[in-house]
Amino acid sequence: MPHHDVLVIGAGLAGMRAALAAAEGGATVGIVSKLHPVRSHSNAAQGGINAALNPEDSWESHAFDTVKGSDYLGDQNAIEIMCREAPEEILHLEHLGTTFHRNDGGMLGTRAFGGASAARTYYVADITGQAILHVLYEQLMKHQEVRRYEEFFVTALVQDDSGNVAGAVTRNLRDGAMELFHAKQVILATGGNGQVYDPTTNALVCTGDGIALAYRIGAPLMDMEMVQYHPTTLAGNGLLITEGARGEGAHLYNAEGERFMEKYAPNKMELASRDVVSRAEQIEIDEGRGFEDGTVHLDITKVPRKRIHEALREIVMIARDFAGVDITREPVPVKPGNHYVMGGIKTDTDGHTPVSGLYAAGETACVSVHGGNRLGANSLLDTLVFGRRAGARAAREAKAMVMPSASRAQLEHEKSAIEAIVGRERTGRRVSELHAELGEIMDKNVAVFRDEDGLGEALEVVKRLQEEAKTVATDDKGTIFNQDVLGALELGFMLDNAEAIVMGALERKESRGAQYRTDFPERNDDDWLRHITVTHNGSDGEVPELAYSDVTLTQWQPEARTY
Amino acid sequence: MSFDLKVRRYDPESGESAYWQDIQVELGPERSVLDAILKFKADTDNSLGIRCSCQAAICGSCGVRINGQSRLACNTQLGVASEEGRSKDGTIVVEPMGNMPVLKDLIVDMDAVHWKKIQRVVPWLLPEGEPPEREYVVPAESMIDITQSMACIQCGACVSACLSMEVDPEFVGPAALAKAYRFVGDPRDSQTEERLRDLAEDPHGIYDCTHCFACIEVCPKDVAPMSQIMRLRRRASGDYGIKDSNNGYGHEKAFVDIVRKYGTLHESQLLPRSYADGSLVKSQVRPDSLKQLAEGLPTVINGLRSGKVSPVKAIWHKKLPDQDQVRRIYHEVESRGERIELNLYIVGDEAEGDEWGPDAGAEAPAMGDAAEVATGPEAGTEQGAAVQ
Amino acid sequence: MKVAYWPGCVSRGFTPELHGSMAAVAPRLDLELIELDRANCCGAGVIAEHNQELVDTLNARTFAMAQQTGVQMMNICSTCQGAQSECQQRLDADPDYRAMINSHLEPEGLTYERGGREWTNKNLLWLLVEDIGLDALQEKVVRPLEGLRVAPFYGCYIVRPTGRLGYDEFPERDFYLDQVIEALGATTVDYAGSHKCCGFPVITMARATSLRQAGRHLADAIDAGGDCLVTPCPLCHLNLDLQQPEAEKYVERGLGIPVLHLPQLLGLALGLEPGELGMDKHVVRTREVQRKVAELVAA
Repeated sequence: MPHHDVLVIGAGLAGMRAALAAAEGGATVGIVSKLHPVRSHSNAAQGGINAALNPEDSWESHAFDTVKGSDYLGDQNAIEIMCREAPEEILHLEHLGTTFHRNDGGMLGTRAFGGASAARTYYVADITGQAILHVLYEQLMKHQEVRRYEEFFVTALVQDDSGNVAGAVTRNLRDGAMELFHAKQVILATGGNGQVYDPTTNALVCTGDGIALAYRIGAPLMDMEMVQYHPTTLAGNGLLITEGARGEGAHLYNAEGERFMEKYAPNKMELASRDVVSRAEQIEIDEGRGFEDGTVHLDITKVPRKRIHEALREIVMIARDFAGVDITREPVPVKPGNHYVMGGIKTDTDGHTPVSGLYAAGETACVSVHGGNRLGANSLLDTLVFGRRAGARAAREAKAMVMPSASRAQLEHEKSAIEAIVGRERTGRRVSELHAELGEIMDKNVAVFRDEDGLGEALEVVKRLQEEAKTVATDDKGTIFNQDVLGALELGFMLDNAEAIVMGALERKESRGAQYRTDFPERNDDDWLRHITVTHNGSDGEVPELAYSDVTLTQWQPEARTY
Repeated sequence: MSFDLKVRRYDPESGESAYWQDIQVELGPERSVLDAILKFKADTDNSLGIRCSCQAAICGSCGVRINGQSRLACNTQLGVASEEGRSKDGTIVVEPMGNMPVLKDLIVDMDAVHWKKIQRVVPWLLPEGEPPEREYVVPAESMIDITQSMACIQCGACVSACLSMEVDPEFVGPAALAKAYRFVGDPRDSQTEERLRDLAEDPHGIYDCTHCFACIEVCPKDVAPMSQIMRLRRRASGDYGIKDSNNGYGHEKAFVDIVRKYGTLHESQLLPRSYADGSLVKSQVRPDSLKQLAEGLPTVINGLRSGKVSPVKAIWHKKLPDQDQVRRIYHEVESRGERIELNLYIVGDEAEGDEWGPDAGAEAPAMGDAAEVATGPEAGTEQGAAVQ
Repeated sequence: MKVAYWPGCVSRGFTPELHGSMAAVAPRLDLELIELDRANCCGAGVIAEHNQELVDTLNARTFAMAQQTGVQMMNICSTCQGAQSECQQRLDADPDYRAMINSHLEPEGLTYERGGREWTNKNLLWLLVEDIGLDALQEKVVRPLEGLRVAPFYGCYIVRPTGRLGYDEFPERDFYLDQVIEALGATTVDYAGSHKCCGFPVITMARATSLRQAGRHLADAIDAGGDCLVTPCPLCHLNLDLQQPEAEKYVERGLGIPVLHLPQLLGLALGLEPGELGMDKHVVRTREVQRKVAELVAA
């Protein structure tokens, strides 16, 4: 039974950064991940990471762009922290060995990104997330004092009698062994929940595990209705084409050959914020000016070939291998697709949640720095700044306390729950069928444009699927790499996520950021300049509770948002 | 379209040995082998084990062998895999990767092999002293240069395909050595020479690569691990003059010097010179090399006995008629004092894809941007000395 | 067909039977060889390891000499093919780089013009299938090698990396040796080692790795019922034939399987006698192969 001061769940950028910071703070640290850390979805962040590092730039400018991008739903105190600490974080990564692009003088060089008033995106070709992820993993290999549990799945969080988080129940995927991990402080950093949608740019592993784990012990989820649709995803399979392409000068065209962003964002054009560009595309497509396959065209051929080769190599490969398009010669068909959840577990600016001893960082968390819409290249920054802050704070707290007591009852409960799934005869539909239906309804009714009827229908489907999910059976009855039972558990997590997303979207009767209600098409600051939280009290069948919290404004009052 | 797959199954809990399972899947030819496997899992049997996540060739999870070739299941199209020559009657054969133990079905133990070897090369940056207040100032090209090895997603395809590792499991291997170059090529690292010496002296290090191109062929990210290994050798011998006990330095120097002298290879000089750091002066033969020379003796005798090598030919080798021209080329290149490398990963070889015409190369990038100039501390000086 | 012929170093060094057998078989293939006897070593990957600019210049020099003949270039060594293709790829990719390399050739009055599809350098194996043609080859056969079981051994440099070696245009290059064996009337032996590495490049640096590789492939070919191996690469031949007695020690079993050069196998089928093809100049005796061929004539 492992004991750690700090247990980090998830080993993408936020998790690894938190683990390293906690270790630096003198804590004993364990890091658990259901897949090998370098397989984490942080890999997929192609474009870069924002920071006002250039002397001509300022953190205030970065913060304002972020506030505006968030459609004023972001908490400005948190945004200020993120933007102030960004340069330090970039330099730290550079010192650890990240191979950031340099300018001619050998200094860090930047590229332009959407919604930004300055070119402040630092990058490694178009594999920025991968490059940083691997550098952090190098540091984990170096700092062996951080104990790694690779390919371990967390099935539940454990609390002591007073409600403090005291550990987690894990399942070693290699042999199916289940254990109780004791910890003084637990940090959730399991990434997003894109698999709730189909298609999505997100990897198969992005099933919102951490969000659901926290939700199940009563942690409030915030801004869950804010689900980002990325403007440039491949039509067939939802794969991502980086915003960096537009940052490098690529244009969007409709089927009539019109560079339609002129109509929607005459100043920033293709580099308006993502919600704006996605909405514009969807309007073009819905009004019949898209291509036959429901797409618009992203034309990268204007970018000089050598620059494509040097800066956009990954998407050359993706378009070639997955869409059969040579982007150096022809436009690539794209459409808006599920990409990121701005919402997550509500935390303070140290990543602490309202549940004692429980933290969240990265896409799992909602600090909230992204509000209604996240700017491109702010997600990596979020993971690193708040991952570090959560790790440091958790280490400090751990020092001042004894190990809380965690009962084995939870372990036994989880064991029997899994045995029940594995032992069950198949009577209903397969996990894959339920997952497919969920993804379809979410993409149909909880996407770029939403309304009361569609959301109501989606909630009904989710409720029905939750019931059905209780009957799923597995083909695999074994213990070694039983991915089947894992899928059944993930389905439960995804349905929890979906429930919170749809409830938030139904509740917010206005249009702000990624939430566009055709039945409430205007932003309404009087009634809705506030966060919505969804809280579940754990006991089965109970209706989750909706509540509100204020948006923190520091120096920027809401204004009309134009690009 | 309907595709036939033959998948290698293994359930360690069943007590049975591995077996083949025939699978038929209806999918478009542009879909991937992973799509086919996932469809089978979704519709029919979800006990089939395969690691996968991103489905976009970024996470490196789904390395397998398809029709005997190591690759990612997610970026191998069904249409291509069923039509390629390696496939027999259109059947797509899917097996776990090679050179690593199989845990279940298509899942191999990467920790036991791949990650152990990565750990072996001290895979983290070791800068000198405290970091600067701001960033390290380094040449822009140096970062682009090592981005090629940074592009590695640790999928293990190269390890699976490595023909040296097949006979020598202790070989450090392509992925780990590409990772090593990522630090050796990084001007911020302070342990360049130590790293090179370590990998040159290791009998299973850079000189244990047989130069078979298997890793280059299978790498889904164009990392070209073998090319990185050759660059490690170039830096070890050329920049640092590391005279390793594996004769790597000697072999390279001997070969290069023989061609400098004769224009063509004189094989019988290659062996003794290789064992003596490239020179023919007897006193330079290292004691540990005497054994190696002795090991080569039966081969020499066999060669003489078969009549393929005459004693005269073993000693005497004719120079090329215009050997002075070859020497002049050597001199011109080596007296430059810097090495020029054209890395096609950076510049692209797009000219090749264009229509062949008189001006086909016109839009190719300028060499000034493309060629990398070696920046090793002694780049050129070693070579300058070697000319004498 | 007239070709600018680059025999390579080893065919005139430690495997003279290759050079001799090529000369003997050329007329039977209607090949007129213009030997590039002033050209230099391809570098065999080793000079490339040392200095790219140097190896690119040396091979550009060979190409330039070949181009002066006005005909295509042919080599008889997988390693030459691979090493030279690597240089040609760089030379063809970038006009400025090519010009810089050509400046080294200027004092000798030589220039390499971008090859592309107009001017090619092909191994005999490729030329046989693509320019002479398997049907035409089959017609020239006077002694079909029926019953002879031949294990193909390609050599790494001629099979990888496919992107550099023109496999996009000629994907069948992966099987040419098999096809030629069949065209000559012999039977192809299917075994694990055909496209693997002979180990020669590391014979002086990692002897165990090197000879284990050679030994394993030879053993696999024997176990698959091969009478002999055939290879288009003289460097592979060095490890597979010259070193075979040594390789036995590393796989801890007896081997003793003859290894033929591609022109030798061609020669046998085209009616030449083993003696004319230097088949007595092998370390592993070729008697069994000779006996089988002799029986064919008798039959």
